[in-house]
Amino acid sequence: MVGKMKAVVGVLKDTFSFNDLPLSERIAFAAFLVFVFFFPWIVHTSYPRVVMIRFLLFAMYGLGWNLIGGYGGQVDLGQAKNVGFGAFATALMITWWGVPFWITVPVGITVAVVESFAVAYPMFRLRGHYFAIATLCVALVWQKLFLFWDWTGGARGVELPIKSAPNFTYMQFGTIGYHYFIFALFMAEFLFMNWFRKSKMSYELQAVRDNEDAAASLGINVTWTKVKTYLITAAMGAVGGSFYAVYHLYIDPRCVMQLDLSILIAMTAMVGGAGSIWGPILGAAILIPLDMYLGALLGGMGFYGIDFIIYALIIMVIAAREPRGIWGIIERARRRGYVLRG
Amino acid sequence: MALAAEITASGILMGSIFALVALGLTLIFGVMNVVNFAHGEFLMIGMYSAFLISTFLSIEPLVSLPFVAVVGFLLGIITYYLLIRYLLRGPMIAQLFGTFGLMLFLRYLVMFILGPNPRVLHQGVLIGKSVSLSWFTFDISKLAAAGFSILLFVLVSWMIERTKLGRALRATSIDAEAAGYMGIDTEKMNALAWGIGGATAGIAGGLLANFYYITPTVGMLFIMIAFATVALGGFGSIRGAFIAGLIVGLIMMVAGYYLSQIKLAFVYLAYFLVVVLRPRGLFGW
Amino acid sequence: MFSKTRSLLVVGFLVCAVTLIGVAPLAQAGSPKEIKIGVLFPLSGGLASTGALIRQGAELAADIVNDKWPNLDIPMAKWEGIPSLGGAKIKLIVMDHRSDPARGADLAKRLIEDEKVVGIMGCYNSSVTKSVSTVCERYGVPMINSNSTSPLLTRRGYNWFWRTTPDNITFTVDLFKFLEGLVEGKVRGVGKIPREELDDLAIAGEETEYGTTGAELLKEMAPEYGCRVVKYILYAHESPDLTSESQAMQAANPDCVLFIPYVSDVILYMRTFRSLRFSPHIIWGQDAGTVQPDFARVLGKDANGVITRTVFIPEVAIKVKPIAAQINNVYKERTGEDLSGTSARAFTGIQAWAYVLDKAGSTEPKAIQKACNEIYISPDDIIMLWGGINFGSTTPDEKGQNVLGMGMIGQWQWKDGKNVLEAVYPFDYATADMIYPFPEWE
Repeated sequence: MVGKMKAVVGVLKDTFSFNDLPLSERIAFAAFLVFVFFFPWIVHTSYPRVVMIRFLLFAMYGLGWNLIGGYGGQVDLGQAKNVGFGAFATALMITWWGVPFWITVPVGITVAVVESFAVAYPMFRLRGHYFAIATLCVALVWQKLFLFWDWTGGARGVELPIKSAPNFTYMQFGTIGYHYFIFALFMAEFLFMNWFRKSKMSYELQAVRDNEDAAASLGINVTWTKVKTYLITAAMGAVGGSFYAVYHLYIDPRCVMQLDLSILIAMTAMVGGAGSIWGPILGAAILIPLDMYLGALLGGMGFYGIDFIIYALIIMVIAAREPRGIWGIIERARRRGYVLRG
Repeated sequence: MALAAEITASGILMGSIFALVALGLTLIFGVMNVVNFAHGEFLMIGMYSAFLISTFLSIEPLVSLPFVAVVGFLLGIITYYLLIRYLLRGPMIAQLFGTFGLMLFLRYLVMFILGPNPRVLHQGVLIGKSVSLSWFTFDISKLAAAGFSILLFVLVSWMIERTKLGRALRATSIDAEAAGYMGIDTEKMNALAWGIGGATAGIAGGLLANFYYITPTVGMLFIMIAFATVALGGFGSIRGAFIAGLIVGLIMMVAGYYLSQIKLAFVYLAYFLVVVLRPRGLFGW
Repeated sequence: MFSKTRSLLVVGFLVCAVTLIGVAPLAQAGSPKEIKIGVLFPLSGGLASTGALIRQGAELAADIVNDKWPNLDIPMAKWEGIPSLGGAKIKLIVMDHRSDPARGADLAKRLIEDEKVVGIMGCYNSSVTKSVSTVCERYGVPMINSNSTSPLLTRRGYNWFWRTTPDNITFTVDLFKFLEGLVEGKVRGVGKIPREELDDLAIAGEETEYGTTGAELLKEMAPEYGCRVVKYILYAHESPDLTSESQAMQAANPDCVLFIPYVSDVILYMRTFRSLRFSPHIIWGQDAGTVQPDFARVLGKDANGVITRTVFIPEVAIKVKPIAAQINNVYKERTGEDLSGTSARAFTGIQAWAYVLDKAGSTEPKAIQKACNEIYISPDDIIMLWGGINFGSTTPDEKGQNVLGMGMIGQWQWKDGKNVLEAVYPFDYATADMIYPFPEWE
């Protein structure tokens, strides 16, 4: 009994403690949290709030992807399928039976986890590009099936019934309400990641990433470690999908399960710096506002594609100049700082 | 029976065209382990150059093929020196996103310059002509594209396996460092692989322009098929790409005939099943 | 432990990057003499060329309302702004939704709250129209839709959504009436056609909201008019090849091939049909793809004989509607092309906005809502052949649909080196002898 209590306390401590991080990072993150928390009261226009919600959503997607892609080093380009499972579980159960949102979320997670488990073992026999293309292909097969089936609404999609806001059963709010809703989800996922980072599983996973043979010789079950991580990533994608469904109130397989979404999710983690807890947040903080503002400011000007050209140039420059992402730049600057002081 | 023959014939025809599209992708991968998301855009630029050259110089589209190949070659070389060289230093994921960025860049640069409207070639010896057999009508431009596809595959395999240049390319692909010690300029070899890859994509585009419409976004129709083809055949395997192309073509034709909506799902599923049994594709090494 | 560089960098990056979000667009004070309307269309990706047409149509309408046009007889050309609002000008704020419902919804919020538009027009893709109209419904902001024809849109009981264009039900009924007309010998230049020559249908719908609902509607209504569906295909527009679909249709040996396409896929179908030497008696397209100038220009002679549902045909305008011919000329001067069903509907959408604002005499949402529900625009004021514009309902579950709309059917005919869209339905407005059957491929 006491042992159990101790274990729980240990987990809680790991979840909420950031003591192992440098002070500067803790200060920066606290500043970031305060900023996001008060954001709707600092900025009174709608679009920045919308961009903020999208940023938090993608930071969340990115944190989930970072598990398998960053800590696990497996390039998974199929996260959109999990987003789709979550979104469809929520949307369909709400429209068919009026099930409260919070009951649909575990269902979405279950679907995503079960499906991922089914494909995980064959998938993890593959390496490198074979794995990346396989994840892409599986996600696209699901998209095609969801478009094909009638019970998912096919290409017609699913429209959720509009309730008078705010409604906590179906989670429908104004923009500010959604802001805090996604912020809470983001925080939950972030705290989980904080725990995960320090867990035994994380060290096993990184050992597997760095050298599978060495990890196996240490008695780590290589495949099971990867599969576990893959399942957690799937669950996190599904939560994001459920939010997407009640936020936009309209989904179809083209918007929640598309290839571009999978790539954008992986890209947020990559641009920020995969394998670091801050990476996905930094990446989303750069890519999402960039994309949304370029689209809104330049997209309607009549110069076709000028917004995409600028966006693509920035991606290319980051990928070419700093393949380890923004976090790579920060770490390099840090090292230089040590050298200067030394 | 006639139906089966008809579907098989068009499957082989389209399959060899898919294989042609995938040739450059597998070539580049074979030499330096980079998957090029922008390959569909190389194809699109090939189509546009065939269109522009044959329209403005009013020459036969087939005659424009050498020029298109040169355009593709230069595009490949420039891409290598301006972008890929730097991407090679990073992890695989940075390479994927670098070429993904290149894909968006090329697609929308062409849209920015030439506008979004679709175009089609109207004049040419192949265009709109068909041969009718009792059971099937062949589109001559597709037949020609399939013929060129076989020709190019033979040519490229010959070059890789028999020539000194090919041996240098293969040496670079097996062990770049060791190849460097042997006096092979690996930088040049990489650039060359991109050039040849670009040239084959350009030729594929020039041939497609004879029967396909041309828009800046046409590349995205082919890129996933090309990925599945290359991965199915085994990354870097030239023979594998051709056979995988035929398989993909046949699957698409049979599935498309009965269940058009999910025919692409069958292609992706086929890839998945093959790699589950053979994790390096049909002919991967 | 505390490093200055490090903390500066980290704080700088985290906060600055996120503050980027906070860069609010410069709040435009906006003179009272200006009324903003948000316009959302696809201006990138596969539908960019379609979005360009819509934009041109919408901008022409706004210019005609705003400026003086002494040579035009259409009443609103004399307005110089909205009369009841003291000559306030209409300003269109165009944005690109990239065919993505989520982006459309986000941009709609930007238009509503930041740009303070009085209303929204859009969005072409029926799926995006759905998500954007949901946003408008929640914010209580009026939205007039000009180009989405999925019947579901006006059947959701929304209080802030109106549609000027007839929906797919109208167009589908038109098609079957046209086929009956062929049997009865009512079509100009064609004698009575035996019913057996027309009653086998092959339906090919593009796999989107618009294509799926359109195809299902055709399938449902075919038996009512004594037609049989011998082949029913939904295809993906991202498919690089449509040979097997075409072969499947050819094997079913239909009399009529009915497309619900976007533009690039129908071009590919036509080219494949040619290579297969497949010529059914009738090839009909449900507007979007087949009606665009791109379709006719790109296919050239191969488009000869293709029938398309539309709402605007320049040849008819020249003969029976002088104001429409004038507008068409202005449009042609600007863009080098005739108005098409796509651009003319966008024109009419903005025109409807102008009339609604004039009737409301205010930019208050409630006043606009009332004006929309009560508006009647006379047929003499618009460029379409419709009976005018009046939002009501044709069935009890419908709301905000223009009940006076009317569809037409045109046929591309290759004349003197270019394609001309000739009217073949309604029968009274026929401008040329119909080409029947669809010509054999050379």
